[in-house]
Amino acid sequence: MEKSKGKVSAFFSAVGNFFWDFGEAVSKGDLFVKLSLIWMGAGYFRRKQYVKSVLITIFEVLVILYSVLFASQYVPKFGTLGTVKREAVFNPATMKNEINDFDNSFMILLFSLVSFVVWAIFLAMWISNVKRAYELQKMEARGEHINTFMEDVDTYRNENFYKTLLALPVTGVVVFTIVPLLLLILVAFTNYDQQHMPPSELFTWTGLTNFINLFGGGGLTITFGYAFVRVLIWTLVWALFSTFTTYIGGILLSFLINHKRVKGKKLWRTLFMVTIAVPQFVSLLPVRNFFSDGGIVNTICANVGLTDFLRDAGLISTSYIPFLSSPGWAHVMIILINIWVGVPYQMLIATGVLMNLPADQIESARIDGATPTQIFRHITMPYVLFITGPALVTDFVKNINNFNVIYLLTQDVYTTTNQALANSQAKEVDLLVTWLFRLTQEYYNYKMAAVIGIVVFVLCAAFTLIAFNRMTKGDREEVYQ
Amino acid sequence: MKKKIGDVFRHLLLVFLAVVWLVPIVWLLATSFSKYTGMNTSTFFPEEWGVANYKNLLFGADSVAQFPNWFWNTFVIACFTCLISTAFVLMVAYATSCMRFKGRKALMNIGVIINLFPGVLAMIAVYFILKSLNLTNSHIGLILVYSASSGLGYLIAKGFLDTVPVSLREAAYLDGASEAKVFFKVVMPMSKLIIVYTVISSFLVPWMDFVYAKMMLNSGVASQWTVAIGLYNMLEKSLINTYFTQFCAGGVIVSIPISILFIIMQKFYVEGVTGGAVKG
Repeated sequence: MEKSKGKVSAFFSAVGNFFWDFGEAVSKGDLFVKLSLIWMGAGYFRRKQYVKSVLITIFEVLVILYSVLFASQYVPKFGTLGTVKREAVFNPATMKNEINDFDNSFMILLFSLVSFVVWAIFLAMWISNVKRAYELQKMEARGEHINTFMEDVDTYRNENFYKTLLALPVTGVVVFTIVPLLLLILVAFTNYDQQHMPPSELFTWTGLTNFINLFGGGGLTITFGYAFVRVLIWTLVWALFSTFTTYIGGILLSFLINHKRVKGKKLWRTLFMVTIAVPQFVSLLPVRNFFSDGGIVNTICANVGLTDFLRDAGLISTSYIPFLSSPGWAHVMIILINIWVGVPYQMLIATGVLMNLPADQIESARIDGATPTQIFRHITMPYVLFITGPALVTDFVKNINNFNVIYLLTQDVYTTTNQALANSQAKEVDLLVTWLFRLTQEYYNYKMAAVIGIVVFVLCAAFTLIAFNRMTKGDREEVYQ
Repeated sequence: MKKKIGDVFRHLLLVFLAVVWLVPIVWLLATSFSKYTGMNTSTFFPEEWGVANYKNLLFGADSVAQFPNWFWNTFVIACFTCLISTAFVLMVAYATSCMRFKGRKALMNIGVIINLFPGVLAMIAVYFILKSLNLTNSHIGLILVYSASSGLGYLIAKGFLDTVPVSLREAAYLDGASEAKVFFKVVMPMSKLIIVYTVISSFLVPWMDFVYAKMMLNSGVASQWTVAIGLYNMLEKSLINTYFTQFCAGGVIVSIPISILFIIMQKFYVEGVTGGAVKG
């Protein structure tokens, strides 16, 4: 806790310093520093950094042009997300129906958000620009050398090389991950769904309505709350089972393969790897048909009499075994099939760990007369568990978001018979992410999908934080011992 | 004697498990060589064998099955994704591993937090953004989707670069080398293993991916698809009885090169993952 407090206060003091320095620069700077508040190139111009001055001026002009010509069309409407609906109006002058100058709520939302991001970046640059101008003033006063443009460019190959390296990747993440995430978070507070699809319709802010609906407070849409609880429980059950079964299975398998007297270790490893080396849509789709209601496994089960046996035992009521088409069976089968997919992965990782065993410890144990079983139980096993343990949390979070297995095994095959679930477009076998995906792809219910997405994030973040705390605790124990 | 029984038991268990693990794959392979067109549900192995499925798939493209097109599309997308992703990953890895600058830790923490959001969620919004730029249903859009955020997957490469001795870089600085020169001439030549790993793993992304491609290429123009969507489409309820064996053949063709690349990569995968775990 103390450590995190330290971090938080460090963060705030850094932010404080950032603005304090700015204030100092403005109050103590000379005319050109103050002029930099309006003309960003002023400070550089005064210190004879003409190229830099021109470049930053061009940047400033571009941002202003962007704001005046583009952002001004959208940002003022951000509060309402548009008021003019799209309509075809008869124009007597041309004798034709013309589309009016309508508002597109989505474009307003998107471009307002983009504008906010652009302005935030601009603000940060503007403040550091003034600070830089003041710094240059001080440097000049001290008679220090002020970089020429070429020298400045050169720093981007040296001490500022990280900026050169990070520029593109960070831009990519901002444009393709951060802005989209912010956008979807905003959508969670609107009524953007099939009835409110731009460009023909408008959508608007609805506050916390979607959250209330999801958590079961809504009147007519009560099914969302009903479905949410069930999907959430299955998501957690699935994540728990799939993580532990594959983890334990993988470790056992790696112990088996790496046993001293097992021959052809590489061959075995490769055989098991084939299942994960094949793309999942190639391996899982046939498996889905393998276990389908009229599939080959059902034929075989019927031939050996297993189907009849199960029917007599009252476990099934159909003439086939509904491996992937009825709730209980499908849940078990999905977890079993996931063992098939996941165990080789864990086996690979555990094998890697086994290869890096602390050889000296084992050697000294052997000299002390420990039996192979004792070595295994007291050195090998704890070591492997210790190294791979933290990865369990990451696996758990990954499984909460394990889209492929569920989607490929159940999409188009599994239909729910539970009307309340069907009303909210969910199925018993859905994870939160597959539900979210279906809501957007098939039902255009973006508002609920966005809310579910936020819930998934909170879940993942919570589990990661708990695990992270645990791990740091572990660290400290080691320090004290 | 007891040892021997144990050994036999171990090998038998492995054989049993391997059979269980390979049954679906063998079934896929066997079905792809059958003479049927639809699903064969009566026997495990087909009663009549033939290569007609491969022939149809490769040379008899029709409105549904355009496998050569799909393969080429996926290949082009994979090549560009691979180039961009590898560059991004190595750049971020070098900056965070070998350089020290203000905000480095903060940047890495932000990366961790962003990774906690489900990728599908961001994708939906990315889809809208690309749609407003007219980039959906285009391969450029898909390449951007696969590679733009790839910088976030730098951790394994960083873990590797952390093991490159600092003294080597310091020697280069003393010789007057610029940071850029150290990156290209000192660190990169030493990182061949991790470069190979990054290249293969990013090349595999478009081949393995299904969700993003399905979301992005939704126009229904079969010639634009990637292998994943094309093959998935063959299993539509109305098509499955005509195309199931072709699906299997396509799956086999795709899987061979992909599996080989994957098996080459796994060596680095194990090293990278466990290496990262050891360091915490």
